[in-house]
This record gives sequence, structure tokens and C-alpha cells, in this order.
Amino acid sequence: MPNDALMMAKGQGCVLTQYTHARWENYWEGPTKRSNLNLGVVTTQSAMLGFGYGLLRRLNVLAALPYVWTNSSASYLQGQRGLQDLSLWLKYQIFEANAAGGEVRLQATGGLSTPVSNYVADYMPLNIGMQSRTASLRGIANYTHGQGWYLTLQAGHTWRSDITTDRDAFLFHDQLYYTNRMPVPNLLDATGRLGFINNRFQAEIQLDYFTGTSGDNIRYNEMPQPTNCMRATTAGIYAKYFLWQGLAVQAAYGQVLGGRNVGQGVIFSSGFSYLFYTNR
Amino acid sequence: MNTTPYLWWMLTSLAVLFLLVRCEKSPESPAAEPYPETSLDANGGTWKTCVLTSGSEISVPAPAAPTSSAYSLELNNLKQYMATATPEQKRLARFWGGNAVLRWHEIARELAARYNVPPNYNPDGKTYPNPDPNNPAAYPRFPFANPPYTARALALLAVAQYDGLVAAWHAKFQHNRLAPYKYDSSIEPLIPTNDLPAYPSEDAVIAVASCELLKMLFPAEKGYLDRLAEEHIQSRLWAGANVESDLHAGRVLGQAVAERVLAYARNDGMARAGDQSKMDSIRADAANRGIREQWHSLDIPERPAMLPLFGYVKTWNFDEATKIALRPPMPPMPGSPEFEADMEELRRITKNRTREQFRIAAYWADGPGSYTPPGHWNRRAAELIQEKQFNEIRSARAMALVNTALHDAGVTCWDVKYHYMIMRPTEADRGIKTSTGIPNFPAYTSGHSTFSGAGAEVLSYLFPDHASNLQAMAKEASESRVYGCIHYRFDCEVGLQAGRKVGQYAVQRGRTDGSQ
Repeated sequence: MPNDALMMAKGQGCVLTQYTHARWENYWEGPTKRSNLNLGVVTTQSAMLGFGYGLLRRLNVLAALPYVWTNSSASYLQGQRGLQDLSLWLKYQIFEANAAGGEVRLQATGGLSTPVSNYVADYMPLNIGMQSRTASLRGIANYTHGQGWYLTLQAGHTWRSDITTDRDAFLFHDQLYYTNRMPVPNLLDATGRLGFINNRFQAEIQLDYFTGTSGDNIRYNEMPQPTNCMRATTAGIYAKYFLWQGLAVQAAYGQVLGGRNVGQGVIFSSGFSYLFYTNR
Repeated sequence: MNTTPYLWWMLTSLAVLFLLVRCEKSPESPAAEPYPETSLDANGGTWKTCVLTSGSEISVPAPAAPTSSAYSLELNNLKQYMATATPEQKRLARFWGGNAVLRWHEIARELAARYNVPPNYNPDGKTYPNPDPNNPAAYPRFPFANPPYTARALALLAVAQYDGLVAAWHAKFQHNRLAPYKYDSSIEPLIPTNDLPAYPSEDAVIAVASCELLKMLFPAEKGYLDRLAEEHIQSRLWAGANVESDLHAGRVLGQAVAERVLAYARNDGMARAGDQSKMDSIRADAANRGIREQWHSLDIPERPAMLPLFGYVKTWNFDEATKIALRPPMPPMPGSPEFEADMEELRRITKNRTREQFRIAAYWADGPGSYTPPGHWNRRAAELIQEKQFNEIRSARAMALVNTALHDAGVTCWDVKYHYMIMRPTEADRGIKTSTGIPNFPAYTSGHSTFSGAGAEVLSYLFPDHASNLQAMAKEASESRVYGCIHYRFDCEVGLQAGRKVGQYAVQRGRTDGSQ
């Protein structure tokens, strides 16, 4: 994926299917944690198809497209479903060197994404996406010890375009704006991963952080909106096991520890990936 | 392999992306620029007022003559104000130098949006706190600017401005002292000039009358509103549009008019509109009319009904008997073919709501955090007034007609809602899923439809070349509640019709107010 340190060899391809289930009952309204009896538990599920390919030994191309559906247990608001955003990344290995009984690698990814359906963004928290077109850049540093232990640190920035909403007036930072163009905050994110990998097996623990770089808070006792500055720190575990040749099963579990203007999510995902070689 | 091209690709895209970044993400809103006021409406002082008995009720003392030394001293002071105005003060001169009637409505809409938040339930998870007008800044802040509250607020603001300007026009053409630049050609105002007598200043009247009304309606905003009013009045000096005695006389007149409108507002029945003690008798009366399955709050925990006695608040353009005569007949009852047909439509929409239906429901939702449906039509009125470049008194008249009609629509609709106590579609079938929040009051008739029918009717009279568009908007606003699945179609159709009738009473006032 664009934020891990794995590289595919030239001519190597990978197909990934993944199901994700995220649910939360408590959420942060600005810095204040609360629940809402009229929302109950909000669930967001997705089925994602991913694709990766080694264009060159140092250059990989990655793509992903999720189908997302949402639901709230207590409200009468209709959940949403649909194809979300198509993402495309290039991942480039800038540097590699042997060091301290292992290998150090530096990588960079640049990505673009665009919504592929006209889903409703201004319908938080039951929206399936933000409708922003995005561009992202990130740097990844990895050290893998010869015995398989590794540490990966990554940080990235995502630029998100303004969106056109169905309303033509909204409060932003408590000011009323007469426009249907809504700013969506850019994002900064960083992840640390500590794990073990060999030919059959991979496992890691993760700590992930992201924050909007602008935006306002959810107003007290109101619904969130795309202008909100979202922030979350999530701890998680991840494991991957190769079943047969290139076919692997993987699963991840995460828990949001703290945040702003986000749900305190419990996130579970699981899927299969298949690695294959093309003749070139 | 040579990695250089890829490195360059990375660096170049990085550079391009940084160029694309905007430091501060902020939405753009259209600005309203000052325009020249070509029509004077010299007989404006004789137009029929709403609360004042007439434009001559409050007398304004004669000003110093333009030839007097007192006035020439004022002219010199004015030149000093202009010469020392900072760039920010010059910007404010143009900000307030546009249509000031509309500027204060814009402020009111923003306050309505900020205060349009239903209180959260208490920690016990069973009860709700009540906004307290005597402690407005404490949570939950007073007011909860829901649609009826906002409709009344905008009407009171519009009436104070209109009556204030009729009184100002009366005094202006009684005393006939023109703007300072008419007597001293060295004064070059920052805003378009006109031939309107400047004493008393219409801007000072608007500023003080608007400010006083809004302070009563949004008491926690006293400091903010006082600051705005002061800025508005001072801006006339920075603009070179008024001397200090124009402004002083305008302040005094604005204050006197505001006090009369405030006295009206204190006795219009709003104070008891939220009283929940009558709910048992309201339910019993509805049951006697044959309504067995009645509306109950769908909020968790069950929320006290929104303003159950708002239907008893005084109307502007017709009397109590007319209000009762406007009450539509009983709607179709569950089990009847008409009711089931409308339910079936909602089930179909729930199953397959189109993106366009979603858009329409969201565009007109005007829910919490918005200026509400009356605010939506208030804004539309302001846009049309701006487009047609009405002068201040004609703007105030148009806003008074539209907003009193919206208020009357709210009152008649609330009267109907608590007369019949009709349940929401989701109560009839829990499988009905909405695309917008279910409002906390009975379904029949639709408030959005009634407001929109009334708003479009009055605006069609004022802006006949936009009539077909306005009527189409009202119809869409009305149907949006069906697409959102929070109303039966019969709620909306009957509400829209009733709203149009309500609007006609404001049109009738407009036709006979002496402004033709």
C-alpha cells in the first residue's frame, strides 16, 4: 500500500480484496467526547479492490477502489452506499543501503484520487466519502533486520479540493457563507510500524495519526460537516499469512485512542492478496 | 538503472503541489456593493405603517439650516472624519454604504443560523434543558432559533426597519435638508450620491431600530450588535454621506420606533408559545376530532414539542377569525386509499431515492445550523431587491411584506399542526427512512410548504418578472419534504396552497399601502 514500505519487483503484480468494518458509538465534538442517542452506533463498511504492479524494480504503481456502505442504529436517516473514490499512486524507492545487519530503504509515493460516483458528501456521518479530488505526497523510511524485524516510519500530506454541496449556505467557523463550495481541510498523517516479516508470514503493531490542517469543529449538538477539522490517533495490529504460492490472507484491527471531530472507531479489516509474476 | 528521471518527477510534482496549496481554506461569499438609488419615493412618509399609527406619529425637530454656522461647523468636522479615515474605515463605509436594510437582514440570518441548534438532552438521558431568556448566554443558549422563532424575528426586524423608514421619510421631506455633499462640493463621498434629504439619517434609523430589535431577539449578542450599529452609524461620516446631526436625529427616531415595535413584540403571544402544559388538552381535542394515532416526538429521549402555542401568536396581515377560516380540512386518515397512496410513494422513495431527490431534499432542508426556511425566502427577497436596486424605503417595504407573510405562514401552519396532531410518516411505518432530520412537531401541514407558498406569493407580486421561477421554487421546496420522506404529499400540497393564501393578505397590504 502507499503508506507501507513493501515494494514489488519489476513485473510482479498483486491483487488485493479487502473488507473493512468500522463502528463507533462515542465521538468527539471538537475536543469533547460524547455519544448521541439519536445516532446510536454508526457503522461504515467497505469492500475494496486493490491492484499493484512493479513497473521497475524501483517504481511501483498502485490503485484502489472501494465500495462503501453506511448505517446508523438509532436514527431514521437512510444509510448510503456506493462506489467511492478511485486512487492511483506511484511509489518510488529513492535509496537503499545495507546497514546494521539489515537494510535501510527510503521511498516516496505520490498519489491522486477522484470520486467515481456522485455520492452525497455533505451527509456526515453517514456519507461514504468527501467528494474531494485529492493529491498526496509521502515519504517512507524502513529498516528491516536480516532476521525479519522491521521498523517503518511514514509521513504524508494530502491536498483535498473544495467540494460542491447540495446546500448553498453553511456555517463555517460560526460565520455564514453564501456558497455551495465547501472547503475540505487538507490532511497530515504519520504512521509508525514495528513488525516481523518472512516469506510466509508478516505481523506488525501500528500507531497512526492524522489531522486536518485547517477547518472548524462540529458545532455543539449538531451534525458534522466536511469542513470539520478531523484528527485521530489509532493503534492497531496487522498480520498476513501466505497460504499457497502468492495467495495470502491478511487481517487488521485498530482502535481510535483519541481525536477531534471523529468517531471513536473500532476498525476491523480482512482480505486476500494474490502476488503473481508476469513475463516481461 | 538511472533513477534521476524519477527523482525529478517526484520533485517537480512536489513543487507543483506546493504551488496549488492555499494557506487558509476559506469559502467565498458574494459581496453586496453599494449602488446609486435613483428613485426617491418622496411620498414614502405617507405609506401605511405596521405598528406606528402613521409616519408622522413621532415628530423630529427641525435641523439647523444649511446656511447656519452650526451646519458649516458640522461640514468641517465631516471633512476631518473623511480625511483621517483609515483604510479599514473606508472599507466599512462601502460595506455599510450598500443596502443597509439588507445588511441587517443578513446579520439576522447569520444569528438565526448560529442559534438554530436544538438543545442536547440532559445527562439523565431523559429530559431536556430549556433556553432561558433571562440567562441567554448559558447553555442551552437563548433562543433556539427554530423556523417559527426565526420567522417572527425576521418579521419584527423588517417591521421596525419599515416603520422607521416611513417615519424617517416623513421627517426628511418635512425638513428637506440634503446631504452634505450637496452644500459643499469639496466633499467627495465614498459611496454613490443621491438627492434624498439626509436629515434624519435613514442609516442611523435602520442601525438603531435593527440593533434594538435584534438585541431583544438575541439577547446574548448585545455587545456584538451594539458594536455593529455604532460602526454602521460612524461609517456614514467616513463615507461623507451624513453630518453628525443627521445621525443624531436618526438615532433618536430609530430608538423611538424600536420601542414601539418592542412593545408590540412583548405582547404578541410568543412568550407562552413554548408552554407544554397545554399538550394534554391539545391531544384530547385532536382525539375528539377523530385523530387516534397522534404525533409523538421521534427524538431520543422524547423531546418537548416545538412551540405548541405558536399558532396563537399575533398575525400581521389578518385577524384571528381569518386564521381559523384558513385552517384546512382534516387530512386523509390511515387506512384510507388517499393516505395509503401517499405512504406508498414514500416507501418507493425510501427504496430508491434518486440523487436528484436527495439534492432537492438537502437544498431546501434548512435544518439545524441554517437560517431556516423563512431565512431562505428572506435571502431570496434580499437577492431580488439587490438585483432591482431598490432604494432603502422600498427595500424595507418589500422585506416587511415578505417577512410578515412568512411569520403569518408560520402561525397558521403551527395552528394547523397542533389542531390535528398528525403523526409523521415514519411513525406510521418505521421502515420509512429519511434523508433529512425529522422535525419535532406534527406533520400536517408542512411548514416548509406553507412558508414557501407565502414567500413565493409575495415575491411574485413584488417581482412579477420572476413569478414563474419563484412559484417553481416554492413547489420544489414543498416537494423536497416528500423526497426527504418526512412528509406525506398531502401535507405539502395543502400547506403550499394555504401558504399562498396567507401570502395574498400581505399582497393586499402592499396594494393598499400608498406606495403605488
